[in-house]
Amino acid sequence: MPGVSSRLAAYSQVVLFFGAFLLFWEYGVRYFEVKSYILPPISAIAVAVWEARSEIFENSMYTLAEVLIGFGAAVVVGVMLGMVVYVSPFAQRTIYPLVTALQTTPKSALAPLMIVWFGYGFISKVAMAFLFAFFPIVVATLGGFAGTAKNLEEHFRALNAGPWRTFTTLRLPSALPSFIDGCRVAMPLAMIGAIIGELVGSERGLGNLIMLGTASTRTDLVFGCIIVITLISLALYALIEFAAKSVWWRGIQV
Amino acid sequence: MVSTASAAAPQSVNVADMGLKMTAEPAANHIEARGLNKTFGSFKALEDIDFEIRNQEFVSVLGPSGCGKSTLLRIVAGLIPYESGSATIKGEAVRAPRPDVGVVFQTNNMLPWLTVRRNVELGARIRNMPAGARDAAVDKILDVLSLTKFADAHPHQLSGGMRQRASIGQALVLDPQILLMDEPFGALDALTRDKLNVELLRIWQESRKTVMLITHSIAEAVFLSDRVLVMADRPGKIVEEVTIDLPRPRNAATTRAMPKFGEYVAYLGKVMGVAN
Ligand SMILES: Nc1ncnc2c1ncn2[C@@H]1O[C@H](COP(=O)(O)OP(=O)(O)O)[C@@H](O)[C@H]1O
Ligand SMILES: [Mg+2]
Repeated sequence: MPGVSSRLAAYSQVVLFFGAFLLFWEYGVRYFEVKSYILPPISAIAVAVWEARSEIFENSMYTLAEVLIGFGAAVVVGVMLGMVVYVSPFAQRTIYPLVTALQTTPKSALAPLMIVWFGYGFISKVAMAFLFAFFPIVVATLGGFAGTAKNLEEHFRALNAGPWRTFTTLRLPSALPSFIDGCRVAMPLAMIGAIIGELVGSERGLGNLIMLGTASTRTDLVFGCIIVITLISLALYALIEFAAKSVWWRGIQV
Repeated sequence: MVSTASAAAPQSVNVADMGLKMTAEPAANHIEARGLNKTFGSFKALEDIDFEIRNQEFVSVLGPSGCGKSTLLRIVAGLIPYESGSATIKGEAVRAPRPDVGVVFQTNNMLPWLTVRRNVELGARIRNMPAGARDAAVDKILDVLSLTKFADAHPHQLSGGMRQRASIGQALVLDPQILLMDEPFGALDALTRDKLNVELLRIWQESRKTVMLITHSIAEAVFLSDRVLVMADRPGKIVEEVTIDLPRPRNAATTRAMPKFGEYVAYLGKVMGVAN
């Protein structure tokens, strides 16, 4: 079977590439005598992560909670706002331009403000995750509703379908692919928001651990945290990809 | 050979010979437009449209692209308003879509995320038909349209012809007395179109709905209709009315082979300026 063997070849290429990269890292820093507070060898990072495993796990869960709650709130509020703007011409004239304008604000600049408003704890990081995830979700949801095929809307009108029926049977499924695209963009952004919040001021979380690591020149620990953050982000992204599979009618026009 | 006057379908039954001096009340025309005008802004889309379609009559509307055929159908379906004149269904002014009127649009109206069965039963669900009656109606329609095998497929898995058949099924599921169809076979190849014409003819001969069929195929109009209305554009108006006096029941082989069939086609071609 050529399909299987070519896929096997592709996988082995990836594995070989990463293997070579890690080996180069491990022996490169030794060979070039890079100071370990600049770039520690990968084995030192692995050891540091293992030794601090319970601390890293605890802080990971904390950051994960911030990301998920912020993201969840962005989905709920974003979808509701997308709906309101879609059905109300008034909201379209007023709220929508405001949202579009706010979208261009650099969200990281809001981190200190969030800390002033919500304190050093959990809530300000949730707010940061929310701010980063919110705009792509509103825009995508709105785009999804607005993209409902006009001929299908007319078909529903010809059947005297009520607004609720039209919404649940037609608009919602029409908007789902676009909404999922928004989530795809928003999920990694939520993580970025939470981490920025933690870097600016926090008591717990992976961002906080990075700050502590930097202060005590524990670069190995800092790298460990960065790798863990990346892995969590990847896992969350995979989760969205999995959910996206159930919205298979993306792009299908009949 | 071609009469431009409307056919004299008997509207009243004289039962004097039964000793009962009684005249059945002439049923209101199923579809009627009188002096109908429609503009889009400053653009005159329809001007002084006058026609009627009687109970159980099959009438086609022929006309060049952009002459206002779809606009006329939308008005009759209660989907868009009109400026002046009147449009009535069973004698009642059209204000909104009605449950006794089924519409098949130019583009098929399948929801891609629903199976064929779910798509066909959509109207029944929206109009809250009881589940038992709904299932029976859908089963029957899938069977009539030879879609039973594809009931659980999704629309994108069907051919264009099957999708269009399913679209007709969407309208038939509510068993409307009146069927409005806007170029239902317009996007299909000639062969598939001919086949679906035969299917539509069979369905109509069995159920005798009042049909207004919009088409740009002269042969389709002649084959199916009792009467053909010809429209011209700028502004859209009805310029000719031809009664198709071909015997019923019609069928694919014999009807299309009749000399009269060819004469109607040639005449309508001349009227529409496509033949010389
Ligand atoms: N909603 C609309 N707004 C403006 N113009 C329209 C609208 N709908 C149709 N028209 C115009 O009216 C004319 C008739 O359109 P239509 O009824 O779709 O023609 P047909 O179905 O005969 O091809 C066309 O010139 C079209 O551009
Ligand atoms: Mg049209």
